[in-house]
Amino acid sequence: MIWVEVLSRQRDVAERFRIAGPEARIGRAYDNDVIVDDPYVAAHHLRIFRDESGQLVAEDDGSANGTFLDRGKDRLTRVNIDGTKPIRIGQTLLRVRESNHAVEPERLARPERGIAPIVGIAVLGLAIVGIDALKIWLTQTTDPRLSSYLSLLMIITAVLAWAGLWALLSRILSGHPRFVRNLLIALAGLLLISVYNEVAQIAAFAWTWPVANTYQYVVVWCVLAGICFLHLREVGQARLWLKGAIVATVLVTAIAAQALQQSEAFSDSGRQNITRLLMPPAFRAVSVRDENAFFREVTELKVKLDRDRSEALPAEVVR
Amino acid sequence: MIFMIMGCEARAAEAPGSAAEGIYAAAKPRLLQIRTLVADAGRQTSNGSAFLVSSDGLAMTNYHVVSQVVLEPNTYRLEYTDADGSHGEATLLGVDLPNDLAVVRIDKHAAPYFAFSKAATGGSGGLLKGERLYSMGNPLDLGFTIIEGTYNGLVERSYNERIHFSGALNAGMSGGPVVSADGTVVGINVATRRGGQLVSFLVPARFAAALLTRVGERQSTPDLRTEIRQQLTSWRTTLYRSLGEGGFRSSPLGSYRAPETAAPWFNCWANTNVGATPKPRASVNSTTCNSDSDLFIASDLNAGSIQIVHSYAKSIDLNQFQFATFLTQLSQPRLVGGGPFRKYYSPQRCSEDFVRTAQAPEHPALRVIWCAQAYREFEGLYDIAMIAVTQDHDSEALVSRLSLQAVGYDDAVALGRQFLEAVEVTK
Repeated sequence: MIWVEVLSRQRDVAERFRIAGPEARIGRAYDNDVIVDDPYVAAHHLRIFRDESGQLVAEDDGSANGTFLDRGKDRLTRVNIDGTKPIRIGQTLLRVRESNHAVEPERLARPERGIAPIVGIAVLGLAIVGIDALKIWLTQTTDPRLSSYLSLLMIITAVLAWAGLWALLSRILSGHPRFVRNLLIALAGLLLISVYNEVAQIAAFAWTWPVANTYQYVVVWCVLAGICFLHLREVGQARLWLKGAIVATVLVTAIAAQALQQSEAFSDSGRQNITRLLMPPAFRAVSVRDENAFFREVTELKVKLDRDRSEALPAEVVR
Repeated sequence: MIFMIMGCEARAAEAPGSAAEGIYAAAKPRLLQIRTLVADAGRQTSNGSAFLVSSDGLAMTNYHVVSQVVLEPNTYRLEYTDADGSHGEATLLGVDLPNDLAVVRIDKHAAPYFAFSKAATGGSGGLLKGERLYSMGNPLDLGFTIIEGTYNGLVERSYNERIHFSGALNAGMSGGPVVSADGTVVGINVATRRGGQLVSFLVPARFAAALLTRVGERQSTPDLRTEIRQQLTSWRTTLYRSLGEGGFRSSPLGSYRAPETAAPWFNCWANTNVGATPKPRASVNSTTCNSDSDLFIASDLNAGSIQIVHSYAKSIDLNQFQFATFLTQLSQPRLVGGGPFRKYYSPQRCSEDFVRTAQAPEHPALRVIWCAQAYREFEGLYDIAMIAVTQDHDSEALVSRLSLQAVGYDDAVALGRQFLEAVEVTK
């Protein structure tokens, strides 16, 4: 017994024909065993039979467009059938298998999803909303306004929309939406950014280390790239290196673009667009320096200023 | 706000045969209008007034009337027109940047000229408050006019010495002479107070006499651009030395003592947000002291102003984090240049740290931000902004700001030290 399967473009089985006889004829005409409605297939295109050794063989019946093996470019007149590589006639993929073709062992069903992911989502979500709400409250120096907390709703909506889009993409491309996993990834990324932002701001004051705050955009882009890669992995495990490379390229481009934009804004205005943050005095983590040490550092700025000046000096002024 | 005058609305002498009539008749052949022309186009871009001060064609005017020619001698040139309408080329011979004066030579010989008042050049003591003065010039390019006004002594709280003249100066009169009843020059029209009524300023005649002597002793004309650089450097050295010598004394503000300058040429104002609506959540009492030491360098560049601002902030119902955010808004280092950044300044550089000036309890820990930018064209000149925020309490603080324009770096560091050392806690 022979099974002839017509495959879709995604290589799922679209039709399956059971051939009881020793030979199968495939083509567009109605006297075939398997009729293929593909205008690029000949009326009598392919014949499948056993040779002397009992091996299944497909033979081209003299079609105009020819017969190929899978993505191969070589036109074949006779193909030995192994049951795995599909045969291509016209625009149709065929797979021919014997009834004793080995199948994969039974896949074990995944255990029922526990409560853990839901708890994770709740914890991450609460942490993000909590940090943001706290931040809004602690930076409110004018009349308290309830409406300033509306931005929290926006964040929640944005995260849900983001995870929803990835779930939709995943559903279209791999058949499974995996919304919960996508939401977990998005929340984890957002929490990371939120926490980093707090740490960088505290570091800028407590350790007088503003670099982490100034270059915050680099970290934000990195986290965003990481999230995107994880989302893409949820969509499909295939060709991860390619997905990684695409994400990395986009990441590098984004960071370079923002760095360029910032440096141009700086050379236009001469001011770094950062806020010099103050925190409660108790947050100071370094010892107070004496005046001499500070003014030594200030004096060192002069060298940089003079260097900037000599670089910036328009040529026509030097005379 | 002072702006450079360029013209005037003439107030006609009330009665025929007035003193002004006689004075103008005598002065007429000695008056000039100075135009700055774009060399290639041959049309004026600005104009001012001038007056002859010697028989061989030397004329006195304001630096700001001719500044374009000083700074861009290849793009602009000068031309004079006299009261008869004849005109010709004028050549720059010398400038006095701090006193806003310039001397030009025109091709006129054996012409009558103005003499400087003996009383005015020997010191200001010779003139009496209320004395009638006559200002002449060509306001708004409408023709030569004479204006009566009163001498009101020297301007108080001004670093650069200026005569307070109560008369209607207008754009275009800059550089024109102001004479007393005997027809001798006591001052030169220079500026008027925007928003004031008849509040005008004159450069005392002795500076003009000194510049004339200096130019007369010179064999050749130096590169004026180099000269204004030197004048600017020596002017700012004197300015900041006199600020440093006076030093800072601590004066009480809330729970702190804040550095206040002893120099007499500052205008100080106080400010509070007590009555503000909506009701503030932290009270702020500020004092702002501005120096009257701004110097005109180019039409788009002023430099030399000094500002000292203290804000004593105390939380009403803000918690310590909210109060810190509030202080953040008060303490941003806004470095204010006197001209467009890309043309005149290097990018800003900042340094920030916790500083204590002494281990005594009255010297609190401070968060200090120091930002500086260099002048591209003037070596050794910088704009500085230093902000100090006291760190001894989480619900009240003193935010002190020192802004110095066109200062030498070492002077700025020395002044910054003095300033920080004078920030104290009273409790």
